[in-house]
Amino acid sequence: MTIALPLAILWFGALFIALFDGTRKPVGYTAVGLLAAALAATVALGIDVHRHGPKEMGIAGWEAGVGIALRADMLGITFAVVSLVVLTTALWFEVSRDVKARIFPALVMFMGLGLTGLFFTGDAFNFYVFFEISMVAAYVLASYGESPRQLRAALIFIVVNLLGSVLFLVGIAAMYHNTGWLDMDRISVQTPMLEENPVILTATIIFVAFSIKLGLFPFHFWLPAVYTGTRPAVAAILSGALANIGSYGLLRFGADIFPRELREGAWVMLILGSISIVYGGVQAIARHSPNEVLAYSTIGQVGYILIALSIGGEAGYAAAILYAVINALNKTLLFLSASLRGWIAGAAFAVGAFSVAGVPPAGGFFGKMVIFQIGIDDGRPLIVALVFVGGALSFVYMFQLYRARFWINQEADEATTKGALALVVALALAIVLIGVFPEPLLSISREATSILPERAP
Amino acid sequence: MTLFISITIAVIFGSAAYLMLKRDLIRVITGMILLGNAANLFIMAAGLRRGRAPVVPSEFETSDSLVQAMTLTAIVISFGVATLVLSLVYRVYDAHHSVDLRRLGSVEAVQSGLDDQPTAHVIQAADDAQDARQDREIAARQGGRW
Amino acid sequence: MTTEMTRTTCRILLLPILMISVGVLVKGYADIGDGFSAGVIASLGIILQGVAFGAEEFDRLPLVRYAPLATFAGLFLALAVAFLPVVSGDPIFLHHPVAGDSATHFGALEFITPVLFDIGVFLIVIGFCVGSIGAVARETVRRERDRGAQAETRRGSPGAPAERGDRR
Repeated sequence: MTIALPLAILWFGALFIALFDGTRKPVGYTAVGLLAAALAATVALGIDVHRHGPKEMGIAGWEAGVGIALRADMLGITFAVVSLVVLTTALWFEVSRDVKARIFPALVMFMGLGLTGLFFTGDAFNFYVFFEISMVAAYVLASYGESPRQLRAALIFIVVNLLGSVLFLVGIAAMYHNTGWLDMDRISVQTPMLEENPVILTATIIFVAFSIKLGLFPFHFWLPAVYTGTRPAVAAILSGALANIGSYGLLRFGADIFPRELREGAWVMLILGSISIVYGGVQAIARHSPNEVLAYSTIGQVGYILIALSIGGEAGYAAAILYAVINALNKTLLFLSASLRGWIAGAAFAVGAFSVAGVPPAGGFFGKMVIFQIGIDDGRPLIVALVFVGGALSFVYMFQLYRARFWINQEADEATTKGALALVVALALAIVLIGVFPEPLLSISREATSILPERAP
Repeated sequence: MTLFISITIAVIFGSAAYLMLKRDLIRVITGMILLGNAANLFIMAAGLRRGRAPVVPSEFETSDSLVQAMTLTAIVISFGVATLVLSLVYRVYDAHHSVDLRRLGSVEAVQSGLDDQPTAHVIQAADDAQDARQDREIAARQGGRW
Repeated sequence: MTTEMTRTTCRILLLPILMISVGVLVKGYADIGDGFSAGVIASLGIILQGVAFGAEEFDRLPLVRYAPLATFAGLFLALAVAFLPVVSGDPIFLHHPVAGDSATHFGALEFITPVLFDIGVFLIVIGFCVGSIGAVARETVRRERDRGAQAETRRGSPGAPAERGDRR
């Protein structure tokens, strides 16, 4: 199984789909099929990596360090699989209702391409290039629908995220200047030997860049504006697939390249994470429109990932990966099902809501439980309290939202099609399955941390 | 030389940040383009060696070619993004007849205010008035066009 | 409107500019130049025609009409060159003949697969620059026309558009 296969499917597929009118159903379903094929190829690659260890491909046969390398390890593959699942589901959902713009399916595929590329690349600058491919797709997606409000939200999104991209670029240039390498493996070997100050500065810049993507507390202000005006499928894509860049970037650059700086900055991340959880929860309770509630909920959920990162060590990193995966699925399910009507959609939404609140048997329970367990084991009452407070807050706003959407207000914004319902139900079942049989996901996330250095806390 | 480049980057970055805080969307975009240029200059400054243009074979000390390749890529990306944003602003202008962020905010507040008819009329009238004014301005400013 | 002098100069300049761009494209392997800069030079030459002759005339140029298609063809060519080696189990972007082997020369041009990749980049750049600027120009013209029509209905006098046209 070669690393190039998922990328090849996505590149040629996106180009092919862009030639045709995406508002037509056959084109849309072809795009869904191509995304699913890329997903299958990625899963096959993951099985291969699981059996035989990480794979590497030097572009044009150059050895790593000289040329650009593609590298597939468990961490990248986990995020790639989750992102592709979210993109496939969201696109399918939109196609089963009605695609409004002819370029939409091609854009979703280009975003999948950018995401898969950046999860598989071993080169810091190449990471930036793929990152920009997916960001440009996201910029256009944010204006999808083209109502004046969406256009304005898209502008805010672009301005803020462009700032993040530029910061990231500056961080890469600084890394290159300090270490003389662009290959991430070489950089991670070099950074511990460098003086501390320039590395701390670089690490901070990169942390800020990814926090902007994630919508972490002080950098969150663009997030509700963008999510509120947009269509459910786009909101699901932004929060379920695009936000993975932030979690993956923090893990890859934080835990892999700057482990020393991550340890020193752990208390900052703990504080920011805690504020995010409380702020997101309180704001979500105060809001009414479903997209707005879910947007603030996203800000809150990101806090858990940051707290898991600040705990560090194998358990902490595994918890961060687990939480990022489950959170992406939760948010996709919630954004999609909140736009549907009927008791089936309500039940699916309830599964997502329980998962966010961390109630068994939904998958979110394990994300919270792992963090909770670490808090108990390490004897850190603050983390234990946070898990409880965050869970309680999310339970309250999720219940409010459920009541407003499925009990009081029964009329639908748009047609609830059978296909859309089936998708939402499938996603809900998947989350319940993760909750009932968490062992595979737990072991995958543990395996994904095996490539990160300094796993001992 | 390093000091000179750092000061240049700082000035460009500062101007970009100042422009991005403006209400006029055209200025915001100018700020975004400047910001990209500041980053490009930073990448160039991050090069490991300075010398002649890196064309091989050369008997002189050549400068670091990797940063130049990176800068070229970054320029292309920021060019593409700038095109995209400009077309988006054009769409905003088409829809609102304005590129002033505060004005756009007030129009939006009215639109989301459950279609308050009287206010909507006021805004429409204001739009028409501004439209006419802009027409006159454009006509006064421009002699010819391609 | 531009003067006769400008228009004639622009028309005469088009072919030399395209020739220079092709020159920059093919000598990129032994000298300065590559597909990207060649594409920028060529699209500048084409856009110059638009500046001189106006958007309507610009649209009639075959190079402009097929610009989006050029982007697709270029991207497809570049991708094919990048991914074809995978079929035989080699890493992506592996070029033939491989590094170290000698290639056939024709003047400054070397017959190696990266030339195809660069031609792809050349086409993408031309298609993107010409296509995006052409689209904006077209939209501007359409808007001006709409505005003229709107102003006419608003004032309700048939003489108004002509007067506006004169002022511009």
